[in-house]
Amino acid sequence: MPLPPVPSRRSLARRLQAELFASPLDGLISIVLITSSVAAVLGLLHWATRQARWAVIQANSTLFAIGRYPESQQWRLWLLITLLAAAAGLSWGLLRGLPQPDRPAQRWPQNDRLALLLLSAMAVLGPFSLKLSVAIQLRWVLITALLLLLRWAAGRWAQRIPGRWQRWLPLLWPVLYLLGMVLISGGLGLIQVPSSEWGGLLLTLLEASFAILLCFPLGILLALGRRSDLPLLRWGSVLYIEFIRGAPLITLLFLGQNILGFLLPGGLAPERVWRAAWVLTLFAAAYVAEAVRSGLAAVPRGQMEAARSLGLPLPLALIHVVLPQALRVALPATVGQFITLLQDTTLLSLIGLSDLLFVAGTVMANPQYLGHNAEVYLTLAVLFWCCCAALGLGSRALERRLDPNPLPSS
Amino acid sequence: MSIDPRLSKPAGDEAVMIEARGINKWYPNGYQALRGAELTVRRGEVVVIMGPSGSGKSTFLRTFNALEDFQEGSLKVGGLTLSNDLRQIDAIRREVGMVFQQFNLFPHLSVLENLTLAPVLVRGRQRAQVEEQARRLLERVGIGEQADKYPGQLSGGQQQRVAIARSLCMEPEILLFDEPTSALDPEMVREVLEVMQTLAADGMTMVVVTHEVRFARQVADRVVLMAEGQVLEEAPPERFFTNPSHERTRQFLSQIA
Amino acid sequence: MSASPLPAAAPPIPWWRNRRLLPWLLQAGVGLIVLVLVAFLVSNLVRNLTAAGLLLSFGWLDNPAGFPIAETALPYEPSMPYWRALAAGLVNTLRVVLAGLVGATLLGVLAGSAAFSSNGLLRRLARGYVELIRNIPLLLQLVFWYFVVFLALPNGSAAIQLPGLVLAKSGLYLGAAQLVNGVWQAPISLSVEFGALLTGLVVYTGAFIAEVVRGGVASVPRGQWEAARSLGLSQPQTLVRIVLPQALRVIVPGLNSQFISLAKNSSLAVACGYPDFYSVASTTGNQTGRDVEVVVILLGAYLVIDLLISALMNGVNRLVQLKER
Repeated sequence: MPLPPVPSRRSLARRLQAELFASPLDGLISIVLITSSVAAVLGLLHWATRQARWAVIQANSTLFAIGRYPESQQWRLWLLITLLAAAAGLSWGLLRGLPQPDRPAQRWPQNDRLALLLLSAMAVLGPFSLKLSVAIQLRWVLITALLLLLRWAAGRWAQRIPGRWQRWLPLLWPVLYLLGMVLISGGLGLIQVPSSEWGGLLLTLLEASFAILLCFPLGILLALGRRSDLPLLRWGSVLYIEFIRGAPLITLLFLGQNILGFLLPGGLAPERVWRAAWVLTLFAAAYVAEAVRSGLAAVPRGQMEAARSLGLPLPLALIHVVLPQALRVALPATVGQFITLLQDTTLLSLIGLSDLLFVAGTVMANPQYLGHNAEVYLTLAVLFWCCCAALGLGSRALERRLDPNPLPSS
Repeated sequence: MSIDPRLSKPAGDEAVMIEARGINKWYPNGYQALRGAELTVRRGEVVVIMGPSGSGKSTFLRTFNALEDFQEGSLKVGGLTLSNDLRQIDAIRREVGMVFQQFNLFPHLSVLENLTLAPVLVRGRQRAQVEEQARRLLERVGIGEQADKYPGQLSGGQQQRVAIARSLCMEPEILLFDEPTSALDPEMVREVLEVMQTLAADGMTMVVVTHEVRFARQVADRVVLMAEGQVLEEAPPERFFTNPSHERTRQFLSQIA
Repeated sequence: MSASPLPAAAPPIPWWRNRRLLPWLLQAGVGLIVLVLVAFLVSNLVRNLTAAGLLLSFGWLDNPAGFPIAETALPYEPSMPYWRALAAGLVNTLRVVLAGLVGATLLGVLAGSAAFSSNGLLRRLARGYVELIRNIPLLLQLVFWYFVVFLALPNGSAAIQLPGLVLAKSGLYLGAAQLVNGVWQAPISLSVEFGALLTGLVVYTGAFIAEVVRGGVASVPRGQWEAARSLGLSQPQTLVRIVLPQALRVIVPGLNSQFISLAKNSSLAVACGYPDFYSVASTTGNQTGRDVEVVVILLGAYLVIDLLISALMNGVNRLVQLKER
C-alpha cells in the first residue's frame, strides 16, 4: 500500500496541496478532474431543475409503488407498512437497549442520530416532493413518527422486559412476514388479490424478500453437503452449484416460466410470480452456498472435536458451535449475494412480471410521458442505490456487533 | 484446596475405567498408527503417556473418547464397550472429558457460556443451576473474574484453565489431556500443571499425554512409553525415570533429558 | 470393528444408531427421494410433451426460421434454418463478450490502480465510481445507456464527430467516416444497440474488476512498496514493475469469475435490442414452442463459454504463479 499523506495536523490548505498537487502530473490530473466534475455536476443540476419534467414520477407514484393493486384494498398495504414500521422501530430500539454483556450500552450512537435525521427528512420531504395528497403526506409522517417513538421507548425500557419474553422477540419478524403475505394476497376473511395485480416496488420487495429468506437456509444445507464425507451428498451439491453458476439467470427464469408447466401433472403449475420467486431462491442458494463454504473452511477442525468430546451430537454441534462461527466469516459475502438478489429482481421485467422496471416501462410507453426516460431511470437508480447501500451499511454494522473481540478502547 | 467437590463418589461395579486390548489402527493410506496397543486404567489413577513424536500416543488417547476409530481390538471405557452404537458413543463421551493442546474454546461464546453449553444441551440441566456450578469451577481454577469475558481476551494459560473447567462442568468420570501445555508460553505452563495436580489429588482419573517430566514424577501413578504405535513400557515414575527396563525407554529418556 | 477376544457377543445394533450403517442408509434414502422426484418430473414432462405433439427432438432446427435478426456478423436471411439463426445469435454474443472482456479489463485495471494514486481526488473518484456502479442493477444501467444516451445521439450532420470516431443515432462509425446523402459510412460500423450493450457491460464489469485489482494489489506486502521506493523507483514504476506482477497471483482467479459473469450478463442484451444468443433462442422458443430443447441449447452453450473462459484463465494462472521451490 502506498504511504498515505501525513494526517490532519496540518491546515486544510496544506492538506489539499499534498493530496491534489503533490507533483506536476498530479496537479494536471487534479485540474482536469475538478473542471470536468464541476461541469458535469452543474450540467446535471441544470437539467434536473430546468429541463427535466418530474411530473411523470409524481403522477405515477402509486403505480410505481404498488402496481395495479386494487384501490379498495390498499388499506391492507397501509396496515402492513404501519406494522412493519412498528416492528422496525421496536427491533432497532431493543438492539440498542439490550447490549451485549461485555460492552457498554450506547443508546444513541452517532449513526443512529444520523439515521434519525435522515428518516425525518425523508418522511417530510419525500411525500411532499412527490406531490401526494395532504392526507397521504400526513400518513407518512405519522408512520415515521410511530417508528421513531417505538425506537425511543424500546431503547429506554428494554431492560425491564423479563428474560423469558426476550427469547420470543425474534419471532416477531417471521410472524409479521406471514401476516404480511396474508394481507397482500388475501385469506382469513380478506378478499383475494390475485398475484397478477401485484406490481411495482411491492412486487420487487416481495420477490426479493422471499428469495433472500429461503436461499439462506438452502445455501447453508448445500454448503454442508458440499463439505460432507458422504460421496452422494457431496457430488450432488457440487453438481447443483456448478450447474447454477454456469447458467445466466435469465435462462433459468425462462426455464421456470415456460417449462415448469410441463414438469407438473395436468395444468397444475404455480402462479408466474411464485415460479420466478422459486427460481430466484434456487439461483441465489448456490452462490450463498459458496460463501458459507468458505466460512465453514475457516472454522478450525478442533472446534468440532471439542464439541463432540463434550458429548454434543452432530446436529447440536453444528448449530451451536460450527455454524455461528462460519456464518460470521461468511457474512460479508452472503449479504453481497442478498444485494445482488435485490438487483436481480429487475430481470423479472424481461419475463413479463410487473416489477419496478416493468412498471417504469409501461409508464414511459404512455403517450403522455413519452421521452421522459431519463427522469424515470434516474429516480429508479437513486432508489436502488439507496436500498443497496443501506443493506451494505447494515451488513457492516452487523459484522461489528457480532465480533466477539471488540477493541479495548471502543 | 480441592477443585471437584464430588470427591467421594461411590465406586461403581467397575474399578477399571479404561481397558484397551490389542488396538490396531490403519489410516486409509495404509500407514499403521497403532499396533496392538494395550492399557488398563483404574479409578483414581493418573497415567502419563510419553513417547517420541509420531509414536501414536495422541491417536491412542483419542480412541478413548471415540475421536479416532480403530479396525481391530477391544476397548471398554467406564464399563461401556466401544462399538458402532451411536448411543454408546454418546454415553461414553459424556463421561470422558478432553483437554486439547490448542484449547479449542468456542470463541463466539463467553467463558461462562463455554462452560454451560454442554450441560444444558446434553444433560438437560437448568441453566441457572449450571451457571452457578460453572462460576464455582472458574473460581477454583483461579479465574472466577473472567466469567463474562470472551476467550480471545484471555491469555493462553487462562484459556487452558477455562478448557479444563469446561470439561469438569460435565462432571466426567475420566479426564484425558492431549499435550495440554505444549502450546503455552513457558511462564504459563506452571499455572495449568498446578490445576492438573490439584485435580489428581481430588481423585480424578486422568490420562495425560505430555512431555513434562517433573509433572509425571510428582503426580503420575504410572508412566507409559509408546513408540511406533505400541505400548513398550509401563512403570511407576520412580522406576520409569531412574531404571527403565526397555532399551527404547532409555533412548527416549536420554533424548529429552 | 471386528469382534474382540472378549467372550460375550454384543447384541446387534439397531440401524439408526449404527455409526457404520447410518451414513450409507442416509445416502440411499436421499438418493431414493431424488430419484423418485426426478422420475416423477420426467414422466410428467414426457406425457405433457407428447400430448402437445412436442416430443424431444432436434430435427426442427432445419426448418426455416422465418424471423429477421436486426444485425448479424454471420450472413443470415429469414429463410435460413433455425440453427443458422442460433449460430448468428451466438456469434453476436461472442462479439460483444470479447470486446467487453477487453474493455472491462482495461477500465478495471485503470480504476483499480487509481486507488493507489498519490492524487487524493483521483483515489476518491475511483472509489466513488465503484460504489456507484455496484449498487445499481445492471439491467437498469443497460436501459439507461440505450434509451437515455445512445438513442438520444444526434443524427446525420449533427452527429458527434471525434477524430476516427463518429457517434450518431444511426450507429457508431470507426475509421474514416464520410457523410453520403445524409447517411454515414465507414470501414467499421457498429449499431447503437451494440454500443449501448458494450458500454453498459464494460462500465459495470469494470467496477468489479477494479475491486479485484485493488484487492490483489492490497494483498502485496507493504514491504515490497517500501523496498522499491528506497531503491529510487517512482510510484507508477513501483506499481507496474514490482507490485502488479505479484498482485496478479491474486487477481487472476478473481478475473476468472468476473469474466464468466460478463459472459452471462451479456444475455441481458434483449433490453438493448441487440440480438444476442439468448434473444434469438427465446424468439425461437416462442415461435416453435420447443422450449425444452431451446433451454438445453441455451444452458449448453453458456456452459461451454464458461468452460472456455475458465480454461483460458487457468492457463494464465499457471503463467502468473510465482516460481517457488
